[in-house]
Amino acid sequence: MEMNDADDEEFGFSRNYFLAKELGGSAVKSHSKLSDINIVDEQELRAAVSNIEPKHEKEIKDLISSYKRLYPRWAFDLRCGLGLLMYGFGSKKTLLEDFASTSLTEYSAFVINGYLPTINIKQVLTSLAEVLWDQLKIKRRTPSKSLSKDQQPFSSRSVEDLLAFLDGSEDRTSEFLVCVIIHNIDGPGLRDSEIQQYLARVASCPNIRIVASIDHVNAPLLWDKKMVHTQFNWCWYHVPTFAPYKIEGTFFPLILAHGNTTQTAKNAVIVLQSLTPNAQGVFKILAEYQLSHSEEEGMPIDNLFATCRERFLVGSRPMLNSHLTEFKDHELVKTRRHSDGQDCLYIPLTSEALEKLLVEMTQ
Amino acid sequence: MAPPSSASSGEDSSTPDTTQSQLQHSFLLHKASDKLISSGKARRRRRSIDLSPTKTDDDDKKQSDDERWLRMEAFQLVWSRIESTINHVLRNINARVFDHIRRWVWDSFNAIKPLATISPGPFPLVSQVTCTQLFTGLLLTNNMEFVDDISTFQELGLCLKSHGCHVANLSSFDFSSKNGIAGCLTSLLRQFLMSTFDAADMSILASWYSRQGNYGSPVVVIIDDMERCCGAVLSDFILMLSEWVVKIPVILIMGVATTLDAPRKILSSNVLQKLCPCNFKLGSPAERMDAVVEAALVRQCSGFAVGHKVAVFLRNYFLNQDGTLTSFVRALKIACVQHFSTEPLSFLLGWLLVKEDSKGVQSEKAVKLASELLSLARNQIAEQTEVTIVHSLTELTKLQKLWSTVVLCLYEAGKCNKTRLIDLFCEALDPDTYNLLASDGLTGTGKGFVQSLSSDHCMLEQNLSYRKGRLICQLLGRVRDLPAALLCRLLNGWKNLTVDVPEIHDKVKELQSIVKLDEGSCKPDLKEISRRHTSRSPLKIGQSQSINEKAAILMDCMVRDFMKPIECTAFHEIVCYRNVENLQSALIGDSRKMIQVDLLEFHKTLQCSCCRRSGNIPLPSMPDTSIMYTLAQEHGDLINLHDWFQSFKTIVIQYSRKGTSKLKKSPLKKRKERNESENKSEASIQARFCRAITELQITGLIRMPSKKRRDCVQRVAFGL
Repeated sequence: MEMNDADDEEFGFSRNYFLAKELGGSAVKSHSKLSDINIVDEQELRAAVSNIEPKHEKEIKDLISSYKRLYPRWAFDLRCGLGLLMYGFGSKKTLLEDFASTSLTEYSAFVINGYLPTINIKQVLTSLAEVLWDQLKIKRRTPSKSLSKDQQPFSSRSVEDLLAFLDGSEDRTSEFLVCVIIHNIDGPGLRDSEIQQYLARVASCPNIRIVASIDHVNAPLLWDKKMVHTQFNWCWYHVPTFAPYKIEGTFFPLILAHGNTTQTAKNAVIVLQSLTPNAQGVFKILAEYQLSHSEEEGMPIDNLFATCRERFLVGSRPMLNSHLTEFKDHELVKTRRHSDGQDCLYIPLTSEALEKLLVEMTQ
Repeated sequence: MAPPSSASSGEDSSTPDTTQSQLQHSFLLHKASDKLISSGKARRRRRSIDLSPTKTDDDDKKQSDDERWLRMEAFQLVWSRIESTINHVLRNINARVFDHIRRWVWDSFNAIKPLATISPGPFPLVSQVTCTQLFTGLLLTNNMEFVDDISTFQELGLCLKSHGCHVANLSSFDFSSKNGIAGCLTSLLRQFLMSTFDAADMSILASWYSRQGNYGSPVVVIIDDMERCCGAVLSDFILMLSEWVVKIPVILIMGVATTLDAPRKILSSNVLQKLCPCNFKLGSPAERMDAVVEAALVRQCSGFAVGHKVAVFLRNYFLNQDGTLTSFVRALKIACVQHFSTEPLSFLLGWLLVKEDSKGVQSEKAVKLASELLSLARNQIAEQTEVTIVHSLTELTKLQKLWSTVVLCLYEAGKCNKTRLIDLFCEALDPDTYNLLASDGLTGTGKGFVQSLSSDHCMLEQNLSYRKGRLICQLLGRVRDLPAALLCRLLNGWKNLTVDVPEIHDKVKELQSIVKLDEGSCKPDLKEISRRHTSRSPLKIGQSQSINEKAAILMDCMVRDFMKPIECTAFHEIVCYRNVENLQSALIGDSRKMIQVDLLEFHKTLQCSCCRRSGNIPLPSMPDTSIMYTLAQEHGDLINLHDWFQSFKTIVIQYSRKGTSKLKKSPLKKRKERNESENKSEASIQARFCRAITELQITGLIRMPSKKRRDCVQRVAFGL
């Protein structure tokens, strides 16, 4: 009986593609609309999402703790100079951090939240360089020694300089000092070949080892052979956890939420929190303007630039534009044509939502 | 130090602290405390001095700790040997080409120098056409996979540096259209001047070159793969260099992967005019591969060995999957790491190496520890002492040396007909071949070698034929057909290879002496001559064969008597890695397949009793995402969201109904509660639907609705 099932399943897979192509036409013909579903109120839906009853809690717990027996092996791999790449269904955030906290206590553990859509690689590299610098100071036992005069502080160095520092061509042993944990190295904010090149260069730094997780089925396409074989040096581990993607899923719009185009205040807050204070300031100016000029179609860009420069939030037009691009990417801000032909910026939220957002931002 | 979050709880407790860290781009989870670093060091020092396992109660943990550190050290010892051997081999292969390049660089420099000295002004004088030509070396790598050549170009750079040149290594990434000419110039300045400039300019480089100490040496710019560069940027770069060549004597070396006319394809004719090319050629990947296999695995520089299945996997991985030497080396490294991390006795390999090196007694204690471990692991030989281990290990090493000698002899025989060493290596490791011969009583351990030599035909061909060991049989045939001159060369090769194995060495010399006798009267009918001589010869290899036949019989006997695969010897676990499944899964993670398997066959991983699947029917107890993905299998490449939701709802509602029917309440209350709970359950079903879709989106198995088709999502994967 079971054999038959297995055969059926296999047969199912093999014909799936062709079936899919055949069914393609009929699926379009199925005229059922999403709007036919009696969708509950958005707030209720969000409340329900945060209260979903977990299934198989015990089994999931057992499964995750069963991976503890692999910890010594993982640590061994890292010490031997390999990188760890964890894949399989389920959030691996807690698993990786637990591994680092139990088995890698003799090294510093630095976490990169790759699932954040707004992640800024330069900021991340700066913090990492600071961590490594601290670690090197401890090792050399020269705590008083700070960065020499001709060296700038990390925050004002270029990405290239930061990478050069991490790579450490100076007198340094290849001892493993810092473990970098990258949650979702395939996250939407890191899916860029340049960023992956930077991460690969970080991985090949002598004092650094990488533990990363992937969730996307096509994640391996991010890397070329040089990155895989000589820089990341991946050692793959299949560790499905079936744990819900709680935090990783926050940044995706709910498919049943009001046409899934408008962002709610809550989502906006989450996105805004991961931006720089200056970017938040720019957004605040726009929000305040919109609240006080609710009858207008939006805030003219020149107007916004002038106000932002007055408050020292931006120094130049390109700087403002880069903030605006980020807002637009997350649909926090939209543009429309004013009646006099000028482009205006507006936030696609109701006044109440906007007020709430401002309150939450200031908290 | 941040509090460690517990992995045991599937749900993370969202305290404000963790929420904060979850939304930060990055954060420090914990610092390595000073105490821990120093204690780790102290432990290491203590361990290397005192290896004896203590007899106290807490020795269990300490022993396993010690053992782990020993294994780590053994790995480092073994891998550093393998790595340096491989580097050495690769360097040797390139040495001749590098030497040519070096001489050409200096010749070219001497040709430019006189021009440079007559133009001392601050700006380059472009008066003569000839002086603006740029000496360009085109290095044909013969390899599409430039990853294998990265180290070659670095080595070339180092080689030239050591001979007094100023060298900058640029990669094709520096020549991207995004950064333009500024990108490569910045990289150039960074490498020569060791600092960055806001405005990269060639004049900075010129003034650097005119400084004391820099002047008088050629400036070499190496570009690893010119075909990957953006053509326009590379053209600009070449034009710029050629303008400045009078001030800065730049010599360009470019890697070419395909053919030597590649520059013509990506550069325009006016740029080509500026080049004065000279061609060089590197060895092919297959040649390099065989050299690496020979040095690292057959000659066993480190004592580390792989089993037959692993060898076959490594070969197939190289031939079918990746084709790069780099990936082969990485696979070997992972095999090595896994060997030392999973095999408890593997640390003895480190001891073997140390013993070989220093002949010291320091590590005798490691053997003691091993014997204790062994007795714990295998009760049946508990009474055996460390003497057994020492003896067995020595025996193992001896057998390994014999094995590798025979394999190299076979390789020598196959060289003229381009037998790949990696194929031969795999066949020589096959324990089945050996067991097959052993079951027929055809193997020996060298004692019966002389007797078996007296047989008048080869045993291998009869007994192995096409079942196993085909390559070895082919080689036997090849030796039989070898022309006299080549046979002479082969015997010479064998003589050199078998210096350490007197049994074989003597026989080879005997064969050689017969050949020498023949040399004076080299007649076409070699068979006749050899027949005449064999009657007089004291060598008892057969009675009436040609020299070729004798050589074949000698080879046949070598294989049967001395080529014992590692897996057929005792204690091979210590040095031999055999777990091909582990290696494969660590090397090639099939995320596309495995994530789908996780979803469709999750009950195998979670091992829950409630979700034993019956056919393809999803059960309400399954995880929501699994239900959704199972349902998606029934759809075409577009999934109607409404339909999908309805079928999801039908399945999960079974569960809710079952749940609520158990409750017994008064009818009035019941109705009111039912209305509320229905509302609630509708919301919760929709919420679960939404989250399942989000999770499928994270895994990339579905694509979100486009503006055109708002009611459908797109399926991405079809079948595993």
